Amino acid sequence: MFSDAQKNIRLVRFFDLFGLWSGKIVAWLIIPMVMSLVYEVVSRYVFNAPTVWAYDMTFMTYGTFFMLGSAYTLMRSGHIRTDSFYGSWPVRRQGWVDAVCYIFFFFPPLILFLWVTWDFFAVSFMRNERSVTSPWMPLLYPLKFVMPLTCVLLLLQGISELIRSIHAYRFGEWIPRPHPLPVFSEEEKPNV
Amino acid sequence: MSNEWYGLIALGILFAAIFIGFPISFTLIAIALGVGWFALGEVSLHLMTLQIFSVMKETSLASVPFFLFMGYLLEQSGLMEKLFRGVQQLLADVKGSLDLAVLITATIFAAATGIVGSSVTLLGVMAAPSMMRSGYDVRMSAGAITAGGTLGILIPPSVMLIVMGPVVGVPTTDLFAAAVFPGLLLAGLYIIYCLVRSYMNPALGPPLAMDLRAESKIAVLKELSIGVLPVIVVIMATLGVILAGIATPTDAGAIGAFVVFLLTLATRTMTMTKFKKSIYATLEVSCMILLLVAASNYFGSVFSRLGTANMIADWLVSLQLSPMLMLWMILGLVFVLAWPLEWVPIVLIVIPIVQPIILQLGIDMIWFCTLVAVCLQTAWLSPPVALSAYFLKGVVPDWKLSDIYAGMMQFMILQLIGLAIVFFYPPIALWLPAYLRG
Repeated sequence: MFSDAQKNIRLVRFFDLFGLWSGKIVAWLIIPMVMSLVYEVVSRYVFNAPTVWAYDMTFMTYGTFFMLGSAYTLMRSGHIRTDSFYGSWPVRRQGWVDAVCYIFFFFPPLILFLWVTWDFFAVSFMRNERSVTSPWMPLLYPLKFVMPLTCVLLLLQGISELIRSIHAYRFGEWIPRPHPLPVFSEEEKPNV
Repeated sequence: MSNEWYGLIALGILFAAIFIGFPISFTLIAIALGVGWFALGEVSLHLMTLQIFSVMKETSLASVPFFLFMGYLLEQSGLMEKLFRGVQQLLADVKGSLDLAVLITATIFAAATGIVGSSVTLLGVMAAPSMMRSGYDVRMSAGAITAGGTLGILIPPSVMLIVMGPVVGVPTTDLFAAAVFPGLLLAGLYIIYCLVRSYMNPALGPPLAMDLRAESKIAVLKELSIGVLPVIVVIMATLGVILAGIATPTDAGAIGAFVVFLLTLATRTMTMTKFKKSIYATLEVSCMILLLVAASNYFGSVFSRLGTANMIADWLVSLQLSPMLMLWMILGLVFVLAWPLEWVPIVLIVIPIVQPIILQLGIDMIWFCTLVAVCLQTAWLSPPVALSAYFLKGVVPDWKLSDIYAGMMQFMILQLIGLAIVFFYPPIALWLPAYLRG
């Protein structure tokens, strides 16, 4: 039916969807993050009526923002790497080095982490744990749930990356990465 | 074997693994877990959860996405381009006007953004075509663009200083205040250098070509004051309230980003596509930085339990070198490491390792951080592994990389002069934070 190369590409496209869509959704969290602080500052300085919820709201969205966005960043290959050697290697070598690193450095810690953070969340959920450091006392388990969810998203995107690197090793070329705005070329990176 | 030695081994594996080129965040987590499991047992697993959760709750780091967002909005809106065009027209008669316009725009942009890349690419796109048409010396032009662009990492609201604050346990506001004058000093050095050289040899930087000039300066001034002045006011106000201690960087960053967004709407320079581009870029870069913060926090917590940093500090202190020599050595190490590595791993991995030494030597932490910041900024300009050169080459393919390097070298010497001034005259960094604290 399909050649191996085509199979790889279809699989990568499928698993990329997790990274892509998590990013497309999570990116919008910057708006509530900014707006809740704007609301807080205005009500504190202009109306002299500080809110009890704005700060909790911001730190909870901020934590969610960068954790849940990390699968997207992995999909865009945005996680910083040292390419003084890597960058000048042939694609095949990049491929097998990446594949080995994914198998040893990426999957085992994340699987363990998923298991531990799930417990961390589950305990908090059972006890209906609330934050004691703030007057609003928000429930903590939604924020704790972000950690196992991040692991799941990273693992799914990691499958895509593993297939990518094996494909690069076998066929000597990288499978292109999608961008949330289709008009932009795949190599375009935001500037750090 | 004692735990300290496990830590040293972890460090060795870490540097080897970083150079293999796997994403550093995941490398850190894997090594911390591996070595931690071996030396500390199951505790290392729970440390991971607790450390990452604590970074998720660290409100001061929430300012990272805000300042990134503000910078990307400005980058996308093209308001900085208006500023550049305006300044360029106003200074049209001055020798070296384009270099000046680049440096002034870069300094103002640096006060709005916390990163380097957008400034360098943006300045390259804006300035290089006019510089080529006006017959500017490629080396000096490239130097001015790359040096000006790297100011973003030093002048507050620098994302690097926001990340450094919690690492060394100094309030971000103090680091911001300490970086103001060194940043301005460097900008001043660049400007003087360009002016003097174009004055001595006008062929390097002639006045603006006649066909590029505007009809009247009054019109230019009018456009500047309507289109650009409000943005500058917002940028300065954002910094002002942070430095004066009225608002935390997080509050000010949110308000700044919001007001900049309103201004881009008011000047009709924002579209849906540009907005989406800004939020996606904000997400990608925030995740890169903050996940690395979380991962190195975890690595750091395992590492500090092993006691290796203190062991290294004890060794070095027992060598009985003078504190200043030791400080030079540490800065030299930071500088050398900044060639292959970027600032994020250096601030997050190297600084915590040398921090106990600095504490034992009784060196002022704010001053030390400022020196490190200037050092890391210099590393952006040091060929052959200087990212800003690639950013610039990417947008101005006509310029030869060797010329860009030669230009950067000139400005790197200025950089070292600036570093020496901050080193031998600490008040340039320490006066403002002390003054603001009252």
